[in-house]
Parts: sequence; structure tokens; C-alpha cells
Amino acid sequence: MTAPLRPAHSLQRRLLALVLGVVAGVWLLTALVSWLDTRHELDELLDGHLAQAAALLVVQQAQGVDDEEGGLDAPTLHRYAPKVAFQVFHRGALVLHSANAPQAPMSGAGQPFRAGFQTVQIAGRAWRVFSAHGAEQDVQVHVGEQADSRADILWAVLRSALWPMALALPLLAVALWWAVYRGLGPLRQIGHALAERQPQALHPLVLDGAPAEMLPMVRALNSLFGRIATLLDAERRFTADAAHELRTPIAAIRAQAQVALGEADGARRRHALQATLEGCDRATRLVEQLLTLSRLEAGAAPALQALDLRGLAQRVVGDAAPRAVAKGQTLEVQACAPCPVTGNETLLAVLVRNLVDNAVRYSPPGARVLVAVQQQAGQAVLSVEDSGAGLDEADLQRLGERFFRVPGSLESGSGLGWSIVRRIAAVHGLKLQACRSAALGGLKVVVTF
Amino acid sequence: MRILLVEDDALLGDGLRAGLRQLGFQVDWVRDGDAAERELRAQPYAAAVLDLGLPRQDGLDVLAAIRRAGVTTPVLVLTARDAVPERIRGLNAGADDYVLKPVDLEELAARLRALVRRAHGQPLECLRAQDVVLDPAARSVRRAGEPVVLSTREFDLLQAFMLGANRVLSREQLEQQLYSWGQEVESNAIEVHIHNLRRKLGAALIHTVRGVGYMLVRDAPGA
Repeated sequence: MTAPLRPAHSLQRRLLALVLGVVAGVWLLTALVSWLDTRHELDELLDGHLAQAAALLVVQQAQGVDDEEGGLDAPTLHRYAPKVAFQVFHRGALVLHSANAPQAPMSGAGQPFRAGFQTVQIAGRAWRVFSAHGAEQDVQVHVGEQADSRADILWAVLRSALWPMALALPLLAVALWWAVYRGLGPLRQIGHALAERQPQALHPLVLDGAPAEMLPMVRALNSLFGRIATLLDAERRFTADAAHELRTPIAAIRAQAQVALGEADGARRRHALQATLEGCDRATRLVEQLLTLSRLEAGAAPALQALDLRGLAQRVVGDAAPRAVAKGQTLEVQACAPCPVTGNETLLAVLVRNLVDNAVRYSPPGARVLVAVQQQAGQAVLSVEDSGAGLDEADLQRLGERFFRVPGSLESGSGLGWSIVRRIAAVHGLKLQACRSAALGGLKVVVTF
Repeated sequence: MRILLVEDDALLGDGLRAGLRQLGFQVDWVRDGDAAERELRAQPYAAAVLDLGLPRQDGLDVLAAIRRAGVTTPVLVLTARDAVPERIRGLNAGADDYVLKPVDLEELAARLRALVRRAHGQPLECLRAQDVVLDPAARSVRRAGEPVVLSTREFDLLQAFMLGANRVLSREQLEQQLYSWGQEVESNAIEVHIHNLRRKLGAALIHTVRGVGYMLVRDAPGA
């Protein structure tokens, strides 16, 4: 009936991916921030060193280093030395420079002199250059440093932060997988519990130590089981009752048909055949009642509409009138004005018809049956009362039990009518009351909307 | 054979009464529990068909009441209640048979005949006395193998005698077993029927016990 269920995704994988994604994201963000921060601090520190070196050169130059020794190559004292360079120009001539310094000013050949920091391209490499004037304006000092050495330092700093993360992530993934698997344990438990159930087992699911998050689901499932159990119960009872109740009319039909078959006398045979038909009608009515009840008990909410209760009562009483007249009964409707109510017209008609039918059926010939529709304190009230024998307290209590028939009644009936009336009243939220009729002395049924 | 039918359903009761009458039973029909108890206590019915869901008094209560009162009439419970505990309750309450609705009329008749036979200690389908054999189902009588034609009343009377063989039956008892309600009984009807039976089946079969009644002798004297 249903297509095989294919998982849209695995909850385990989804949780794992989410947690790992968030962890990796946070980590990368941290790395980015620390990279920016480190670069900023590094730039400040190294720029400071460049400026200080320039200051030293300016001071040294001012103390009169021999001009004639121009182009003095400063010794390469450290492996880092090739990455730094300096130049001192006096009146445009390069008087002092490091071994790796170019001949042209590092701030850019042919460019006008600009004091301060700048990043320039020298021989295809990026250099950070600090330029300053000496004590006199004709002295220019340039101190430069290859920019990629800064990147090396930055990378070295970041590497120490990123490496543990790269190692930790797979470990974290394994640990998380296990944690998530453990965490989803109750879900698997409920799955097993459901899978092991017999199809007819409808007792509530009991999970020891179910987590708070799963309680709503377990509760919803249990409430569903409960509803299904009630429904099945009703269904089972209904089937049993229906089969039981249909036996008598079917037995009557069979007996009458057999009598007709074996009867030689024409009139008696006719009588038996007539009775057979009557039995069929009765079985049909019973089946209809059972179906109505079954549909009502299935609990589908009926469509409600605005309707006139007086008109409905008049129609139903009109339909019932021939039977009442045949029994010499007086059947009347008392209603002064239209009475607007909300309800399902078909069902309300069934309700009123059952009440009127019962009154006509169980009241003796010549009795009076009164159907009244009125507004009382803003509520629509329908009452059906008769001048029959009425019911005593105990029987009033049992009225509406399915197939309960009032003891002593000689009328055939299944006792289903009252069950139907009660059910329709419940579906509409109507108040149903049965009592002794003060006016007529028989049974009075009051339906309050 | 006169039986009491207890059934509150008008249509079914009417059908069963007509059907059982076709099959040779005299049927009295009551429609509530109180009437059933009253009639079963008052009349010697050959058997009763009892519905359980009855107005005024439940069928099982009727059954228990008549059994307490010592009424031994065989009772066949005919009901729509099919649950096994219900059947057990019915049989425990004193029912002799338990039949579910709907029932075939022929089967119902056969079961009733069987109940009546067993109640009279006659397990065989055919009743025998001397050289006379009566088949209740076929409603036929043979004497020394030759078919004998009897009227309905004569047959019923012979059956009553055979069921109560070797016992003296009063005229009133015989009338009660032969006539259902509303049937006129002529004052000397029983005597006329007995005369006819003796004529058709031999004088040795039915003895007159003066001042008491009549008795069918199962085995021929000296046989």
C-alpha cells in the first residue's frame, strides 16, 4: 500500500556533518582572526626595526663616515641578511649600502623621494622599504626588507595554530560519530520496540529512561495506539452486535420463505410471502441503522451549515405522520417562529426522525405525540414528548446502550435508534435529556442546541 | 405433537408457527417471558422452542424458573446469541438443545422430534409398538410392513400413545397433547379417534382402563 521508505538522509551523518562543520568553521575563523592580528603585530614590530635601522644609519652618517669610502659593502652577518638591505645616498650618490642593495634607490628608481614606509617591487620581489632624510636634507637613507620573509614568519606562527587542528579534526570526527551514535540510542531502541510489536498489539509503548526530547513522540505514539485500540474495539463490537442483531430478521425471512415453499393453500402462502418481504424491509432498515451508527462512530466530523430547525422538524413529522395516523395517534409540531441553528442537516434529520419514530412506535394507539421547537434563553430547544407509558428511572439510565430494549415492550426494534440519537447529539455537541413528560405523562426527550 | 413457541419477534414467530404446523406440530405461540413461564408450568407440552432475548423476563430466567418448579418439558433454545459462554449458560440453565438463528425449519422439526423421543426414553427415530411402526419425520405409519393411512389427529394421537407407551393417559392429557389454543375439541373426539385407530391397527394395541383412561401396550401380550 505504501511505497518502501527510503531515508532522505541519515540523522547520524547529518548531526556529524553539522557539528564538524561548525567546529571547522569556528576554527578557521579563529585562524583568520589570529592571522590578521599576527600580521598586524608583525608589521608593526618589523616596521619599527626598519625605522630604527634607518635611524642608526642616519646617526652614523651624521657622525661623518668617510665619504670617500662610498659603496662600502656591509658584511653579511646573518643568514637573514640577504633579506634585508640598506642604502645611504648623499647628494644623489650611493655612499653606503648593504651587499645586496641595488644601485638605484630602493624606494623606486626615478621616483621623487618620499619619506616613510612603502612596499615596492625590486627585481620581481616585494620589498618593504623605509626611507628617511639624514641630518641634512641631502642625505637619503633607505632600509628595505623582503616582504616574503614576513610571510614566512606569519606562516610559521599560523602553522603552529593550524597543525593541531588538522590533526584533531579526524579524531574529533571519530569521537563525534561515536557520541552521536550513543546519543541516538533511544531512537534505535524505540525503533526495535516498534518493529518487535505484533500487529494487533496496541498496548502503550513503555521506554525506560526515554529522554525528554523523545517523550512527546512516545506520548503521541501511545495516544495513537490508544485511539486505534478504541476504534478497533468499537469495530469489533459493532461487527459482533450487527451479526447478532441481523440473525433474527434473517431467521424470520428464512422461516417465512420455507413456509411459503411448503404451503399449498394460496392465501397462507401469500401471507408467508408478504411476511418474507416485510422481513427484508426490516433487515434493510436495521442495516441502514447499523451503517449510520458505524459512520458516526468512525468519528468523521460532519459538515455544518446554518439551517432552520423548525422546517426540519416539520419535514420529519410530515414523513412520520402516516404511521401515526395508522395507529390513531395525534402527531403535532409546536413552533411559532423559524429557529436558526448550525448543524449537519442530514444527521439532525436522522436524530429528529429517530425521536419521533420511537415516540410513535412505543406509544399505544390513540396516543399524542408533540414535537416542539423554541428559543429558550438564546438557545434552540427541540423536544419530543408522548402520552405513552414512559420509562422508569432505571430504564432511563440504560436508554442509549446499544441494543438495549425497554423490557416489556412488544414492538420490534433493535434499540439502535437511541444509540444513533446519542451519537449525533455528541457529534454536534448537543445536550440530550430524557425525562417524564409533565404535560403528556409519557417520555419527553429534550435536545438543547 | 403440541409444542410451545416462545418468540417475541412477530415476523419470526409467525413464520416458525406456520412452518412447524406444516411439519405436523400443534403450536402455541407466546411472545414474552412471563407468558412462557406460565404456560410451561400449566400445560404438558411435548417440547418448547425458547428465544432468549424476551420482553418482561429473559429466556434463561424462564428456563431456570420452570426447571426449579420441576417442569421437565424438553426445551430447545433458539437464539441469536452465539458466544460459547452463552451456549454453556443456556445448557447449564436446563436447555436440552441450543440452536442458532437462522435455522432451517426441517432441522428445527427434526431436533424437536429427537428431543421428544429422548425425553420418552426412545432413542430411535421410528417409534414401535407391537407390529406398528410410526415414523414421526415422514408422518407415516406401517403395520406389519404395510402402509396404513391415518388422519392428522389419528396420527398425533398414536404418536402421543407411543411416546407414553405402557402408561395410562387420561382423556384430558390426550386432548392437551393434541389440540393447540383456539381449536375446538368435540366432547367425544378422542373416543372416535381411538375407535378408528383400533379399527386400522388392531384392537390389542390400545387398552381402555375404565374410569382412568387409555394405555398403549408396547409388546403384544404373550409375545
